[in-house]
Amino acid sequence: MVVTSRQAESHFSNGRILDEDKITKALDMATSLGADYAEIRLVSETTNTASLKDGKLERAIPGQEVGVTMRILADGAWGVHSTSDVESIVQQVDSTFRLAKAVAARRSPSQTIVELAEVPIIEDEIHWKSQKDIRETDLDKRIEMMLAIDNEAKDDDKIVSTATGWSDEHIHTELMTSEGMNRIWSFQRSLINGMVTARDGDDVVSYRMRHGGEGGLELIEACDLGEMGRNAKISALRLLTAERAPSGRMPLVADRDLTGVYIHEALGHPCEADLVAAGDSCLEGRLGETIGSEICTVIDDPTIRGGYGCYPIDDEGVDPRPKNLIVNGVLTEYLNHRETAHRFDLQPNGGARAQDGLHHPLVRMSNTIIQGGNHRDLDELIEDIDFGIYACGSRGGQVDTGRGSFQFAAQEAWIIENGSLSRPVKDVSVSGMTLQILKDVDGLTKDSRLAAPGFCGKGQTVPVGDGGPIMRIREALVG
Amino acid sequence: MIPDDAVERLMESALLIGAECEKANIQQWEIYANQGYGHSMEIEAGRISMASGGGEGGFGIRVVENGRYGYAHLVDTSSSKRAIEQALSIANRSPSIEGFELPGNQSASNVGGMKDKAILDMTPEDLLEQGDQVLTRVSELDSRAVAVGGGIGVGAGAGAIVTSNGIEYGGVYTSHGIGIHVSIDEDEQLTSSYEGESSRKLLSDVTSSVDKAVHWSQITREKIPGGETEDCPVLMTSDGFSPLFSVVVPSAVKGERLARGESFWSGKMNQMVIADHLSLTDDGLMEGGMSSGSRDDEGVPCRTQKIVESGRLTGELWSTRDAAKSVAEGKVDSAESTGSASRGGHTSPPLCGCNDLILSSSAKSHDRDRLIEEMDNGYIVHSVMGAHTANPTSGDFSVTTSTILRVEGGTVIGAISQAGLSGNMAKALNGRVVLGDSSKRKGSYSTGSMHVPDVLLMDGLRINPA
Repeated sequence: MVVTSRQAESHFSNGRILDEDKITKALDMATSLGADYAEIRLVSETTNTASLKDGKLERAIPGQEVGVTMRILADGAWGVHSTSDVESIVQQVDSTFRLAKAVAARRSPSQTIVELAEVPIIEDEIHWKSQKDIRETDLDKRIEMMLAIDNEAKDDDKIVSTATGWSDEHIHTELMTSEGMNRIWSFQRSLINGMVTARDGDDVVSYRMRHGGEGGLELIEACDLGEMGRNAKISALRLLTAERAPSGRMPLVADRDLTGVYIHEALGHPCEADLVAAGDSCLEGRLGETIGSEICTVIDDPTIRGGYGCYPIDDEGVDPRPKNLIVNGVLTEYLNHRETAHRFDLQPNGGARAQDGLHHPLVRMSNTIIQGGNHRDLDELIEDIDFGIYACGSRGGQVDTGRGSFQFAAQEAWIIENGSLSRPVKDVSVSGMTLQILKDVDGLTKDSRLAAPGFCGKGQTVPVGDGGPIMRIREALVG
Repeated sequence: MIPDDAVERLMESALLIGAECEKANIQQWEIYANQGYGHSMEIEAGRISMASGGGEGGFGIRVVENGRYGYAHLVDTSSSKRAIEQALSIANRSPSIEGFELPGNQSASNVGGMKDKAILDMTPEDLLEQGDQVLTRVSELDSRAVAVGGGIGVGAGAGAIVTSNGIEYGGVYTSHGIGIHVSIDEDEQLTSSYEGESSRKLLSDVTSSVDKAVHWSQITREKIPGGETEDCPVLMTSDGFSPLFSVVVPSAVKGERLARGESFWSGKMNQMVIADHLSLTDDGLMEGGMSSGSRDDEGVPCRTQKIVESGRLTGELWSTRDAAKSVAEGKVDSAESTGSASRGGHTSPPLCGCNDLILSSSAKSHDRDRLIEEMDNGYIVHSVMGAHTANPTSGDFSVTTSTILRVEGGTVIGAISQAGLSGNMAKALNGRVVLGDSSKRKGSYSTGSMHVPDVLLMDGLRINPA
């Protein structure tokens, strides 16, 4: 193993919360009991959420939460203890070690033992400083930003209600391990969102919008919030007149929001090596295989600053790097953490993330994006489609990684007829099989970038970014 | 698993924070405290992969000054003074709601079945033994089947509410839950099913979920070609229906959303909204109910609230603040709390939500076989993907299922690999509906606990086979 040490990039820290001496003794105790590895990770979050309904403050909640999780690996099995009582964690070494031993005792000889890939052992601090520290933003400013959306979103008799929301967090993490890793890092995330509800008689629809990422107030200030509100209003009113979407197989063109959700669900999740190891991924054993169209190159990159899914260090203390999941249609890399990197004899790529200090790290995506292609714009993508769907904005999605089937839903959509957008439709969802639909991607515009921020659930919820260019799929199951 | 004096400790800490509020001369205050403990084990790739334990908790402070409210949360009492200042500062910035006051102390019924000593006595080793039983059962039922994921957990929690209006209430609750994801991967065909259940009492048999998961993994292997897109009857098992129902219906029956025009049932009070034999009741007093209790999360006594009676919308759900706000804004003439305040924990102020929501029918119910006969031609759907993408405002949904059986002439003729399922929940429930005879609870969601049986929806659904 290589031991490195470097200086903090900037001083943005609140100081150490864990008592180094006590934690070192606890980790030493774990190894003296016979543990192969032990770690203690603390996360302290300073949060602020706020919301308006119809332009009036509904709630504002400041919070300060802390959680700490100890993982002990003994005889090739994990024992874990999590608590919000930071001081008590050092008293849990023995019981957590015994948990790990009890799990190990149940393993049959044919079952794989847990081992960890070697990684650089680092002692350092990394603090990503926001241009405008979100902790210094007062409630009046938050309200002013939400009103900027609200004021533009409600200006129509058919808009019956508006709701806007705010969420920011300063995340401070400390990790110490029995291998000597001792890292501290911090960064911030900021998010603003809204929902517009429109009604015409018995017809009622809603449209949601969201903007944010890694960073402070500067992220929100950079967004034209008034335009966001106006666009949401226009979309909601348009949905009131939209007809139900047709069902069946047809060409699909997706905007970058939906392209992002598609690649997150259809490819990203099956690429998570813990699911591959569990026998729950359709991509098991397919590294090096062509699984998609040659125009498809997909990366997952936690280092894209500003992306909602980025982080300075992963939750096992590994420096993150971009992962090339698919290059020109060929599956080249799984997302992994130390356990799965060892299991599949891969280089660790820093894909371990935990929801907070009370959860253990899993293999997770960060910012997942399809690279751009050769098409100039939307018009060029749809010009040779006789009948199809152009779908925009995400309502979320889901995947069955084992079967390789997925589903995602659009906020709004248009019928494409004879190479042009014709009438709006609603309730568009798209489903398909990962191993088929990746091959059916036959057009991508040149410009690729992250779309609206999102959240990913896998037992734990983490913020993610995803996006890409506008994408055309030759044939997809719609409705 | 939980200290014997857990509630007393929480109460003591809450009273300390309350005393700080008194010192600050706050008109009305409410301290909510909770502390949870638990053990769990995870299953992955046919083995137990991890065992874990721990606890977490904290305090939430709500202050009200002249109808203005503020909230802050904290993890230990040492920072209570700062949190009170924050809550007060927010209250001063918030709009005043005429008539809004924190609830007063009212007598509440005792609701049994919230705690099971057998769960409190469970050790991590006991849990691992249950894991062994689950894995053994999978291989006993089908040598091809693998438990690819899942887990078992037990939890115990203590909660307390203390307010300036005289509420001092605390209690302990327990839970035991299992989730199991089984797959059969053979002959280049993978079928799978996820099943789970949870209870306030120790589950008598953790392997019953395994039996269902293996069963559905087996019966969906006999594939037939998918047909054409069609509008047809669909029998949704309670497992398949519950996630969709939980996204759409609890949201539609909140008083505030009805008043704001955000529900597909807005403006329809006292009108027929679903089939005339169907009723919808939110029971906050259900013995052992996962979302029931003597009091809601702001200390108001829980009740049994009728929402839809014989197809007619007659009730709605309110928290104290939502009710006062909607009256003050002139959106409704009168409203009061229905004991429907709930929280996701100490980090959240009380918000309106369902307790144990029950869909029932006065018509004769049938077992699943009889429902299949009744359907004649159509599909059975046991699980859906993308339930969270349903639109709670309009009731529209368009989801995907890979656990779907084709029925012709009242007989199951085989499974199709995948299909889209779309429709509108409000319209489907307002058409021809037949309920099954089992109303076992299916799922606890952030929106409450759903008690729905198998539901045969004859109208308004479209199946779009892959």
